[in-house]
Amino acid sequence: MGGKGQTLALRISGGIVAIVLLLGVIAPFIGYDPVADVDYEAQLLGPSWAHVFGTDGQGRDVAIRLVKGTEAFFLPGLLAAAIAVIGGALAGAVAGYLQGIGRSVVLGGLQLLDTLPRLVFIILLCTIMNPSITLIAGVAGLLFVPAIATVIRRKVEALGSEDYILAHVAHGFSPARILLYHILWLQCRPLLIRQATFVFGYVLFVETALSYLGDYGVQEPSPSWGNMVAQTRDLAGQAPWPWLFPALAIVVTIAAFLSFGNLLARRDEEAIR
Amino acid sequence: MTAPLLSVRGLVIEFDTAQGRRRVVDGISFELGEGEVLGILGESGSGKTVSTLAVMGLVEGNPGVVGGEVTLRNGAESLALFEGLEGVIKRRAGKPDRKNVRRWQRMVSRRMRPLWGEMMTAVFQNPRHSLDPLLTIGVQVEESIALAERSLDRAGRRARAVEWLDRVQMSDPERVYRSYAHELSGGMCQRAMIAVALARAPRILVADEPTTGLDTTVRAEIVGLFEDLLADRRRSMLYISHDIREVLHLSDRVIVMRHGRIVEEATAEDLRAGRGERDPYTASLLAAAELGEAL
Repeated sequence: MGGKGQTLALRISGGIVAIVLLLGVIAPFIGYDPVADVDYEAQLLGPSWAHVFGTDGQGRDVAIRLVKGTEAFFLPGLLAAAIAVIGGALAGAVAGYLQGIGRSVVLGGLQLLDTLPRLVFIILLCTIMNPSITLIAGVAGLLFVPAIATVIRRKVEALGSEDYILAHVAHGFSPARILLYHILWLQCRPLLIRQATFVFGYVLFVETALSYLGDYGVQEPSPSWGNMVAQTRDLAGQAPWPWLFPALAIVVTIAAFLSFGNLLARRDEEAIR
Repeated sequence: MTAPLLSVRGLVIEFDTAQGRRRVVDGISFELGEGEVLGILGESGSGKTVSTLAVMGLVEGNPGVVGGEVTLRNGAESLALFEGLEGVIKRRAGKPDRKNVRRWQRMVSRRMRPLWGEMMTAVFQNPRHSLDPLLTIGVQVEESIALAERSLDRAGRRARAVEWLDRVQMSDPERVYRSYAHELSGGMCQRAMIAVALARAPRILVADEPTTGLDTTVRAEIVGLFEDLLADRRRSMLYISHDIREVLHLSDRVIVMRHGRIVEEATAEDLRAGRGERDPYTASLLAAAELGEAL
């Protein structure tokens, strides 16, 4: 029922999401040598035409590091979102459709996964085995499977007693078609979009948190938004720029992903009704 | 008449309720011939809907079908739907045996799967809820066509879908093709549902109270539509209703159900003409119908 305000919010958050995804796609093709970029003549400069977002404590350009920093979470975020959504949708559909032992096994597995506290488990994983960000993202995606599966399972169970699903069965549609197309794709898509953007935002949050903590995540001199903030936080009093822009990028991007997912899902849900 | 398409022998259906096990269908038998319209008449709770669901292998619940046999004949092949399943449901009174009920349902579904749609399909009451809310009517008719006529390409399916919408007497088939269920009236939804079901080209159409909840004029239109669509008698129909006038109008033969039993079986002609000895319940229904016409 948001009307114009909601459409505007959807456009703004969608625009930011699009920009971040675009940067994530082109970043690997931008040649950047973080060591060569060091310039002690140009430390902590404010924004200018030469350095749009200023420079950091070692004279490196903040703008280009922000763009390159998207590499740290882009593919891992997509991976985590894909694992969470596909795994959650299938597990939820199976648990909602099956009966008997199959259902109990899937539900038990999901409950077991669900007992793990996400961030604590990821940090624990880091202390034990120094994993790559891709592995961390994969684990993060897996940890979201139970939450998504639960929502999908409820939806599948509720739809199972709908007249039109009974009618589909009577018309001779295959169970796979009913489950995957009519239920998962048509009915659960808004839910899955919301969850996918949430997981992507969460991976960005985890990546920045780990890089900020320092010992885990992306290591200097490679840029990540988290380690950019971490490095320059003590210099914030002298020059806010090198700290402010990455911090803003983190906040704005996570907020944009979450609200874009929510708004898009809400619009779709209104369409369903 | 040749061998019937569908024959039901001694069907018994029971459900567990809070008050213990209840027998809702008590040993009914009937047959449906090729091209025949059989009306099943009864008030709500008489077991008519659950019997027809059982015939389609769609009855759920605990324990469900506990006895009898349903035989479907598709050309030379014949399928005894419940054959060999007598042992699967344990009939311990008051003790639900969910595992066996599920096993039973799985086995029946497996047997029925190749026949659903092709051999028989259904039109239910509450047409708006029988259509997928997220697909346009056109796409839903096309889904049926895609299964019934696999050789058609996309354009062919579209043309056939519009043709079907025209055949169910939609005033503007092109517009309905693009509409969603919530944009149509109840009567139009039921026409759309009939198009979806018939596009699947079933040999038997089960119509379970298809006019319930519709306005009087719309009911008459839907009954007229069934009459037109079945005029060539190329398919058979089970027409389930509590309205004796609808049943008499459409059917060749009528069975009357009460409390899970068949109390009367007669040709519609005999009933209309008032020939023969009638069960008191049927007689009261006929009297009520006459009164309704007089009013």
